[in-house]
Amino acid sequence: MSVSNFRKAKEKAFLIAVGITTLIAILPLFHIIATVLMNGLPPIVAKGPVFITGTLSEGGIGPAIVGTFMLTFLSSLIGLPIAFLVGVYAYEYPKSAIGRLTKALLQIMLEFPTILVGVFVMDIIAIPMGTYSAFAGAFALAIILMPYVAVYTHEAMRQIPFTYREASFGLGLTKFKAVFRVLVPVSKRGIMTGVLIGMAKVAGETAPLLFTTGGLYQSYPHSISQPVGAIPLLIYTLVQSPSASDHAMAWGASLVLLLIFLAVFIPIRRSLKEVKL
Amino acid sequence: MNEYAIETKNLKISYGDNEVIKGVDLKVLKNVVFALMGPSGCGKSTMLRAFNRLLELNKDAVVEGEVLLFGENIYSPDIDPIEVRRDVGMVFQYPNPFPHLTIYDNVAIGLKLNKLAKNKRELDERVRWALEKAALWDEVKDRMGDYPSDLSGGQKQRLVVARALAMKPKVLLMDEPTANIDPVGTKKIEELLFELKEDYTIILVTHSPAQAARVSDCVGFLYLGELIEVGSTKDIFEKPKNELTEQYVTGELV
Repeated sequence: MSVSNFRKAKEKAFLIAVGITTLIAILPLFHIIATVLMNGLPPIVAKGPVFITGTLSEGGIGPAIVGTFMLTFLSSLIGLPIAFLVGVYAYEYPKSAIGRLTKALLQIMLEFPTILVGVFVMDIIAIPMGTYSAFAGAFALAIILMPYVAVYTHEAMRQIPFTYREASFGLGLTKFKAVFRVLVPVSKRGIMTGVLIGMAKVAGETAPLLFTTGGLYQSYPHSISQPVGAIPLLIYTLVQSPSASDHAMAWGASLVLLLIFLAVFIPIRRSLKEVKL
Repeated sequence: MNEYAIETKNLKISYGDNEVIKGVDLKVLKNVVFALMGPSGCGKSTMLRAFNRLLELNKDAVVEGEVLLFGENIYSPDIDPIEVRRDVGMVFQYPNPFPHLTIYDNVAIGLKLNKLAKNKRELDERVRWALEKAALWDEVKDRMGDYPSDLSGGQKQRLVVARALAMKPKVLLMDEPTANIDPVGTKKIEELLFELKEDYTIILVTHSPAQAARVSDCVGFLYLGELIEVGSTKDIFEKPKNELTEQYVTGELV
């Protein structure tokens, strides 16, 4: 009897310990969200809609928001098609030399320090062009985006049960049609998840933009060959300023960035649950 | 026209050093249900996939010998495996309609992607024809736009039969088509075989001697990669020549 009670007590203690460590692990996340909300909301409320639409001198971060969307869009335009095809290739030819090399490279790229990407793009684009530009920033972000999308595409395709592959080839389809017209659509949810995660990732990046996009906060961007701002970059700049009002603004911008991130991420979580074959 | 739908000559299949089919000579008459039976892991499914060259999806598989489809060797170098697969339809062990396509599109996809229907009307007619042949039309005619996830296992399997039939194949391969569906669905599929053999040659892989006895005209007994005995279903079950066959049909060999 007492042995069994001891075992139960041990089990309970273990559960409590696990619960506490879990709590410690997730506490910072809630702390971040709470801090950003508490510090970010007052400046936004004080300024009203101008905070979202105005330029920096008007007390708004409009150009930075537009810049972030512009950079995300452009980097997707450059990176998504290539990344998608790389992912499909790695799935279709897993044992080929290029296929294996690709998979290894993707893993490295996922973990690659993003500031190095920024330095590299500055060297090959910003310096030759003679100016910071939205294009250079988008190119750097595309390099960061690609491995996410490629790895998710590859993984999504790998999850397709072999029987669907047999079924599509069994209908006398060419490899191209079987892969792109049947198997890719079968795994479209998984691929879309990768696309959204990649986009959410680059929308929040700062380091690769430091030496590539410059910054533009007093007017809205109108050309991809001109410097452009971005919310994370603006936060970085504002925090370095000595003025308290700039700090308040940085908090407001942080909240906007958080909301954009959540707007992308929550639908991803939802769609992930639906991935079933 | 050749009297045999499928004929193999010294067919050998191996995965690396592992030879799973060890020189099989087999002749399958036209318009019959031919049951290829044997215990699990004896090479039935592997051999079946040599008949439509689907085995080539597995890069490690090596096929030697000949497989003749109505007298023509499908492994001769000038034959396109894609053409072979259009002539030899297949139904799989796991009911696998494409989850992202509607019931209609599941049947139509082979025709659409191979551009085999001239217009929408012809496509509609062929889809209906295939679903009627697969004895599913009445159950799905009012829900052609639904997704197959709502269908029962047996219905899904008949949908897959319709998908294969829509291509108007000459031979239909069925790899344990009832292994994953309920008894009612199994009965419907088995009834379907009687209808279909009017127009097609059906090669049915099954590990169940009882099923082979119920539905087939001829039986081949495959054991450890060798074809032990072939004959009419009646002969195989009533007076098998080989001892192993006798043990298998009486349930002593599993």
